[in-house]
Amino acid sequence: MPRYLTQFFIRFGLIAFTLLSLGPVVWSVVTSLLPLSALTSKPPDLNPLNITLENYSLVLDSSRGLFSGLVNSLIIATFTAAVGLVIGSMAAYALARLNMPSSNKILMMILATQMFPGIVIAIPLFLVMSRTRLVDTHFGLIVVYLSFILPIVIWILKGFFESVPMELERAAAVDGASPIQTFRYIVLPISLPPLFATGVFAFIEAWNEFFFAIILTRINVKTASIAIAEFSGQYQTLYGQMLASAVLASIPVVALAIIFRRFILEGFAEGAIKA
Amino acid sequence: MATLELINIHKKFGDFVAVEGVNLRVEEGEFVTLLGPSGCGKSTLLNMTAGLEDVTSGEIRINGKVVNQLGPFERDVAMVFQNYALYPHMTVEENIGFSLQLRKRPRTEIQDKVQKVASMLELEKFLHRLPRELSGGQQQRVAIGRAVIREPSIFLFDEPFSNLDAALRLKTRGEIKELHQRLGVTSIFVTHDQEEALSLSDRIAVLRLGRLEQFGTPEEVYSKPASKYVAKFIGTPQMDLFAGEFVEGGYQIGSVKIALPRSLKTANTPVDVGIRAEFVTLGDTGFDAAIRLVQPVGPFTYVTVDWDGGSATARVNGVSHLKPKETIKVDINPNGLLFFDRNSEKRLDLV
Repeated sequence: MPRYLTQFFIRFGLIAFTLLSLGPVVWSVVTSLLPLSALTSKPPDLNPLNITLENYSLVLDSSRGLFSGLVNSLIIATFTAAVGLVIGSMAAYALARLNMPSSNKILMMILATQMFPGIVIAIPLFLVMSRTRLVDTHFGLIVVYLSFILPIVIWILKGFFESVPMELERAAAVDGASPIQTFRYIVLPISLPPLFATGVFAFIEAWNEFFFAIILTRINVKTASIAIAEFSGQYQTLYGQMLASAVLASIPVVALAIIFRRFILEGFAEGAIKA
Repeated sequence: MATLELINIHKKFGDFVAVEGVNLRVEEGEFVTLLGPSGCGKSTLLNMTAGLEDVTSGEIRINGKVVNQLGPFERDVAMVFQNYALYPHMTVEENIGFSLQLRKRPRTEIQDKVQKVASMLELEKFLHRLPRELSGGQQQRVAIGRAVIREPSIFLFDEPFSNLDAALRLKTRGEIKELHQRLGVTSIFVTHDQEEALSLSDRIAVLRLGRLEQFGTPEEVYSKPASKYVAKFIGTPQMDLFAGEFVEGGYQIGSVKIALPRSLKTANTPVDVGIRAEFVTLGDTGFDAAIRLVQPVGPFTYVTVDWDGGSATARVNGVSHLKPKETIKVDINPNGLLFFDRNSEKRLDLV
């Protein structure tokens, strides 16, 4: 196939994919800006004159729980990402660099924990959590999220640490760096992109999580995703408010992705440090 | 500058013996190559010298002082790694100056020294680039610069050319030799390339399965190899070896008898002989053989011939117009013969 044709197909594919992904986002934003009456009329009344911020002021103002949901989500996602990074990076470094006889077994066991769908462990997990009085607590949800985010963090970072040539640390030692200096000046700086990338990933996973949140929270620790779902009631669904909440809830995630875009790209795409 | 002594060095990784009883003394300012195929222990030996790896037993002395317990930096050695190991997030300038920065030298001093090293290695234009923005040859020079700036008493090179293409490899080889002539710093160089070893070294240590097989000048290892192993490893094309036998007035290889100028005092063990291509001549005298292979390499052509029970490669000057399957007369110069004990594989000095 000639080069320009290949280029054409690649671009066409990318554009199609982008449109497909953007569609729901655009529709969410549009919906959040229209009053319920405009949405429920058939066909939907998309007259731009109807645009209103009413939905936003309603969800932020009311005692609907969106605000506290956002705060809860922020607490839980931040702690999940932070603790996941600290524990995960240490575990990954150890698994990548120390010649432990059982490191392969450990890695496989970590991977094996990922094989169970959430629904399989939901009931036993609920029993464990309620007996340890962790239902409806931040701590409980953080622990549960860590249990499935840590394995991913460990595997991603282990791959990265393995790609860092051992010689870099040796070169630093020959140059006269102490182990702490080697970590401070060499290992840490080159690990920042993957650390950020994995951290953002962990944050987003925890932020978006719905299934365990709905099982393991009741009143106190409702997360944003639960708060959003609650706009869909038995008798009516407040589409405008629901999607206004959804838009608001995605702002932190989008912001994170934009702020750390460079790191995320470097962290995932480059990955390896090639000498 | 320093002397380096390795005294009865052993290294085990679990049950695997990587280095076994190596003794080596490197004189001040000498350029010594550790040569051998992969797995012969040469890199392990270098890492132990650098202090990156512990010795299982034995002593390493630098300038007469035992350094076994010292870290790499305190041994005052600098190392150039196979993959260069440049710090990817630092510019060329920072890479070269890192060791001085760690020692908290004043900024101006660091800049001066980096400048000096960079101009010596023709890196001035690249000081603000990152390693990944450099070509392989430039990265290599940064790695050397990082070692040079330390003004160490010993340079260690771990197969520094293996990531370069052939042309660049030759050029860099010349640069390293010049650098050594200029600075005169004791250098240990690890390679599996015998030609590299011959062209660079004052002396070559040939290693085999963790043992030192021979330690001598390039001339010695080439013309007086201590064993069959060294004989085969060194020299292009590979030395031809024959498992023939002594007969009255000569040595019999298959159907051919090579006349010896004087009768040699033969040992009690069976003896193999080896001959290098430059001692095999093709032309009007000698015995008949069939040409099997003609390999031109520029200034020479290597012609491999077969006869009943034997085969040898001759070095012919210039381009040869010989063709495979032709018959030609072959002469083997008996002065070029090397004798090896068939059982121990050691070279025998027969007189």
